[in-house]
Amino acid sequence: MKIKMLIIILISILIFGISLVIGPRIINPFDMDDISREILFFIRAPRAVVAVLMGMALGASGAVLQGILRNPLADPYILGISSGASLSAALAILGGLTFLGTFTVPVFAFTGAVITGGIVGMMGWKKGGLWPERLLLAGVGLSFLFSGLLMLIMSISTDEGLRKAMLWIFGDLSMSEWSRIPYGMAFVTAGTVISVARAKALNALILGDEFTHSLGFSPRKERSVLFVSVGLMTAASVSLGGMIGFIGLLVPHIMRFFIGSDSKLLLPASALGGGALLCIADLISRSILPPMELPAGIITAIIGSPYFLYLLRRKNVLSI
Amino acid sequence: MSSASKPMILELNDVCFSYSKVESLIYNLSFSIGEGEFIGLLGANGSGKSTILKLASGILKPLSGDLRLWGKPLHSYMNRDRAKLISYLPQTLDITVPFTIKELVSMGLYPYDIPPAMSVYDALEMVGLRDKEGAHLADLSGGERRRTFIAMTLLQGAGLLLLDEPLANLDLKYQVELIRLLRKLRKDRNISVVMALHDINIALQFEKVVLIKDGKILGIGPPEYILSEELIRNAFDVDVRIIRQQGEKAYISYENNF
Repeated sequence: MKIKMLIIILISILIFGISLVIGPRIINPFDMDDISREILFFIRAPRAVVAVLMGMALGASGAVLQGILRNPLADPYILGISSGASLSAALAILGGLTFLGTFTVPVFAFTGAVITGGIVGMMGWKKGGLWPERLLLAGVGLSFLFSGLLMLIMSISTDEGLRKAMLWIFGDLSMSEWSRIPYGMAFVTAGTVISVARAKALNALILGDEFTHSLGFSPRKERSVLFVSVGLMTAASVSLGGMIGFIGLLVPHIMRFFIGSDSKLLLPASALGGGALLCIADLISRSILPPMELPAGIITAIIGSPYFLYLLRRKNVLSI
Repeated sequence: MSSASKPMILELNDVCFSYSKVESLIYNLSFSIGEGEFIGLLGANGSGKSTILKLASGILKPLSGDLRLWGKPLHSYMNRDRAKLISYLPQTLDITVPFTIKELVSMGLYPYDIPPAMSVYDALEMVGLRDKEGAHLADLSGGERRRTFIAMTLLQGAGLLLLDEPLANLDLKYQVELIRLLRKLRKDRNISVVMALHDINIALQFEKVVLIKDGKILGIGPPEYILSEELIRNAFDVDVRIIRQQGEKAYISYENNF
């Protein structure tokens, strides 16, 4: 297992490196002119770092949520966090708000995500604990509400911000810049570290609350800690670059095939796998039809899903 | 040896419990579990057996009354410390969990920072699942699934096992096998077991039975003394005959009911 983990780490680093040097312009890191240096440090590097952070957040959150909700179909967006973020971001974009400069949209998205997560958490709370079914249903219900409102404001909007809002919703990494990275990194690192530190409790929660108790954890407390940490991590991810499909749902399943289901390995593997996949997807999205860019979320779905379906056919185990 | 002279692991005094404000589920329940004791918690469906086990394990908190683990209030223990003393296995096991048998069993180490002397392999060996370590629960028989979790509790090192209907849905062969395993573990490791049951004939194999009806104790003691035809009729609402043959254990016949 340790060797497999090492392989995943090495592949992730390799992909990160490749995504820095390859693009419409191939950069030789050992012989750079000024333009290449500019492209590498101010365009590609922040973009690759954002891709890694978002992918990590989604991969790890997906693995955690599938565990705490005991549902293989759970992903970070099922809790409605993304639709809350999208609605809030679309309001900022279509309303032409710029009072926080380039931070306006991310701050709106993050706030929308956190408020939505809070509402879902409150609705999922009963008798001093979070209940998986209640969380899921509250998340799905709020998603519909916010998506409906989003459609409504988009359909009555004639603003030229419409295309921008659409792009953002499908996942747009082209706005990545260094200034956004510190807060993104803070939330994603904290969320990943807290989740990995609670990996044993997460394993126990997968067995059920009674086992969790019997093995010496408080199921309510553990589920709440994990919920808050993935909520903040997902909110940070959505605010960095919009919604990216596929990663949160399927990367944890793909990693399970490789490394098994022990959360201690699965969480870091899903984080790395998510980061690497989004890096590749972004590389493809900006290289395939230059100078046009495709939303990275579309690429993750198109390259990831067939591979997942292939694994599903080959291996017969699919559960959380 | 009488149970009074053995140290008590867990004592329940006047425990009451209810999920709703209207109706009580458990009334003034008092009994104690001594070291090395094997107790059958016998009662019909809905009599409160599972609730009693959940109270004893600390999953549920009583409305009133007192639970003491080794003399200290049960709820004053840290979760991890309690887990080293009591282990609870629910009635239904989710067999779709993604873990291998070895991963499941090794979760017994979770309450520990420094692992105890027993290894995962020792625990698997003790329950006869050494060759199944890479399998998943879905690949195992019902008896093997139960044994997997018994191995987990062995590694957990808990001296008191609370088992909710561990024999339900097991073929007779696996029922016998599991009881034999638990008896052997009691001999080797002095574990105590409280097991919820609804099969009266199995209850006759225990040294001590607690007979429950509607959340109250109808009788407590060795089964041959307390399991009278009348008491069983009261607890299960069926007519039974207790058949005792010279030199053999008694058994229960329900045939008059059919």
